[in-house]
Amino acid sequence: MGLRDVFQRVSQSPTNPHAASAPRTFDVADLYRGPVSPADEQSGAAATPLDEKLRQAYFWIVNTAIISPHYDVEFNQGAPQSFVLGDVKSRLTLPSAQSYSSYVLLPLLTFAARRKCLFVGGPGRGKTASAILMGVLSGASVRDVRRAMQHGHPQMTVADLLGNPLPADLVSAQRIEDIRISWRSWLGMRVKIIDEYNRIPTRTQSALLTVMGDNYAEILNHIYECPDSAWFLTANDEQGGGTYQVIEALRDRIDVIVQALAFNPRFLSELLVRIEQSVRPEEVVPRQIIFTEAEVDRVQSEIHGVPLPPEVRRRLEFFASQFEFFEGAAEQFEYKTKDTARLAGVEWAGLTAQDTGRDRLKDLGCQTRNGLSVRVLMTLLVYAKALAYFRGNRIVELDDVRQILPFVLRDKLVPDTDAPFFDAPGNAKYRVDRVGWLRQLFDLSCAEYDRLNLDAEDPVAALAAEFGHGLDGVTRADARARLVKIERLIAEWSKGRKLYGNLYDDLLSLKYMHQRYTNYLRWLETQ
Amino acid sequence: MNAAVSPALGAVLRAERHQLNERFATAHVRHPDLDAEAFAEFIRGAIDPLVGAVARTRPERVSHVAVAAYDIALELVGQRLVGRSARTPHVGAAWRRILPEVAPLVAAEPERMIAAVCNASHHLSSTAGTRPRAWIDLMVRLAGQCTDSAMFLTLGQVAAWRAGMAHFRESALAAADKLPESLVVAAIEPPAAGWSQLRDRLMADPWYDPAAPNDISTTPRVVARAGAFRGFGGLFSEPPTVAMADGQLFVRGGSECWLLTADAFGATFHRATQEEFEHARARSALPDGISVRGGTVTIRGCSVSLPSAFGEVTSACASRATLALTSSHTHAILLIAVPVA
Repeated sequence: MGLRDVFQRVSQSPTNPHAASAPRTFDVADLYRGPVSPADEQSGAAATPLDEKLRQAYFWIVNTAIISPHYDVEFNQGAPQSFVLGDVKSRLTLPSAQSYSSYVLLPLLTFAARRKCLFVGGPGRGKTASAILMGVLSGASVRDVRRAMQHGHPQMTVADLLGNPLPADLVSAQRIEDIRISWRSWLGMRVKIIDEYNRIPTRTQSALLTVMGDNYAEILNHIYECPDSAWFLTANDEQGGGTYQVIEALRDRIDVIVQALAFNPRFLSELLVRIEQSVRPEEVVPRQIIFTEAEVDRVQSEIHGVPLPPEVRRRLEFFASQFEFFEGAAEQFEYKTKDTARLAGVEWAGLTAQDTGRDRLKDLGCQTRNGLSVRVLMTLLVYAKALAYFRGNRIVELDDVRQILPFVLRDKLVPDTDAPFFDAPGNAKYRVDRVGWLRQLFDLSCAEYDRLNLDAEDPVAALAAEFGHGLDGVTRADARARLVKIERLIAEWSKGRKLYGNLYDDLLSLKYMHQRYTNYLRWLETQ
Repeated sequence: MNAAVSPALGAVLRAERHQLNERFATAHVRHPDLDAEAFAEFIRGAIDPLVGAVARTRPERVSHVAVAAYDIALELVGQRLVGRSARTPHVGAAWRRILPEVAPLVAAEPERMIAAVCNASHHLSSTAGTRPRAWIDLMVRLAGQCTDSAMFLTLGQVAAWRAGMAHFRESALAAADKLPESLVVAAIEPPAAGWSQLRDRLMADPWYDPAAPNDISTTPRVVARAGAFRGFGGLFSEPPTVAMADGQLFVRGGSECWLLTADAFGATFHRATQEEFEHARARSALPDGISVRGGTVTIRGCSVSLPSAFGEVTSACASRATLALTSSHTHAILLIAVPVA
């Protein structure tokens, strides 16, 4: 046991105890578990479930590596204690269940789910150090991780990023296929780190986009297939500014954005210990929390296997349906979307000024300038599952979605800061606080969902369930009856109801089912 | 310090001085309250006798044992589990009394053996209702018969069950099969019987006590009172109620719920949830043949009178072998053995 061992203590299991499911069993081998851990037990971490190992990694990082006193991902069991402080009534909540620091949690979930995370924040706040830690968790040595890290700079070329053709081959080769490429070693890493990605020239960003988006690199018709990996990028500027503007497609490939919060000087003593003991956290990562490639494969597969119950999915569907609809964007129903307006390049303010009769304060769709893409929704689902898995839950809970959503949508759902919502008393802060705004947006959506009592009264869900059973055996009379049901429902909705995003999506679903039944009926009639 | 310890330990302390001082400094970072004097006292009173015993049997292993013991002692003193301000006397007692008895085994695997004895004694002392001193006595009496560490550890498991860790009953019985018959019989202390026969009895009836002078297992009888008022060191802030599901006995006292495991050797409580209790309560009807009326319990025609001060029964449930009763007059759960048919 050397001086460094003090930094290598891993939290004892279970890190997030859950209620045992009866009947319980007891193992007499537990008699010898306790305050003293023999060396052989420390190394025998193979039996630790991987979600537990992930939590141990989290607690080691927050307790030892990155001194992170910010618990901004809050979970509660029962009502939390809450206090209002200061003249502007700032609220401090003391969560009643295990809560987490997004700055550690999000990178760890990214590592486990092999996605892409962007660290943002001012210089010297530990963005690069956190990314290096993730590299070390993947089993690579600190030296390899550091060497493989790509540092963005204004002169960075595609060759700097991907590799070079061998000079001898360039001279002697008769065919382009004969030119061998010396690929950069970072392309084969399981954790890829791009430091200060907003300093990379635009042309090189395009090459990076191919690697990030499609997981391969290409030089002179030669292809390098990269292994599945987690990506960590850092930037001082969240909006994609910097030496070079980040191309939109590259920004869109980033799955989550996490902000490095300020260091709390109350924890200065922890930094002092590091100086006095000459310890760098990334060099003393305990071996119990390092993941093999097979383990990350398994974690990823287990994350994907965490079920998302229909009641949670419905609320997410309801939330997502609020934003794309734009009544004044087109004549044809299907094109009444913000994307139609964006593609036309018409001035936004002019379009939104049209009166549609809707309550622009109540309509959540009015708060954004865009809707949610398929990629974003898939990312949201993966991270919600990853968070549930990390917490040791067997299914995704609504709170998992609520807590993860702001970090996924932070750069993806663009607020229309001229919307009436942001002028309402107390809402001006949401022009700046993206995380708070997105969480508020989801809460408002859930409140509306509850007000409409959609868990109990959702005629479209009932029709979709009926349709989901398939058309086999559906008689002509049944099909006609279902068509009538759909038409009646639309007719009922058309009587004086305002058109909101969720209704718009429901109507498109009804049109889809109507069309499928119409085609089926037509087919039946030809038999 | 060197002057007060044996020459064997003194030599190791001198030879490893720099390294050991560094380890103390490391432990001090982790446990700022680590008391140097208390640690020195533990070295003299616990590590030195162990090192002395090892020096008599395996002198070539003295250094290895001393360093391992030093590391573990730092952790234990730092956590206030041994030493002058220890929260429990049992971990230190187990170290001083058991480890020198098995010095050859400690010499072979010092980290494993010392950690096992300390962890087990800590486990017992932190589990309400168990008898850590009885475990230490049993281990001191029998540990010398163990020829290797695996046998020693298995004996420790059986002894822990014997010392009141009722929740380990089934796995301890399975572990006991690995011990030599003479050793397991000595641990269980039956009047006279082979292990195979004894094992069958123990498996069939949790209330069979081999050490009891007369075999009364065919008669229903009050066998235990488990739990107590929080003010007297127990778990319950108000008189508890009981419920049973799948043979597991759940207890609720105030807003907290527990799983109670009990047999002839002891009773232990383990945290449970309200859901588990409610689930059990919904399935807790008394089985046919068992009834409770007034102060009398009738089990398959045999009557058992409840203690006069027990008061009115507030809840009752039964498994195959145990009837549990609670009353508004007491914070203890009355356990009655149901003869195994």
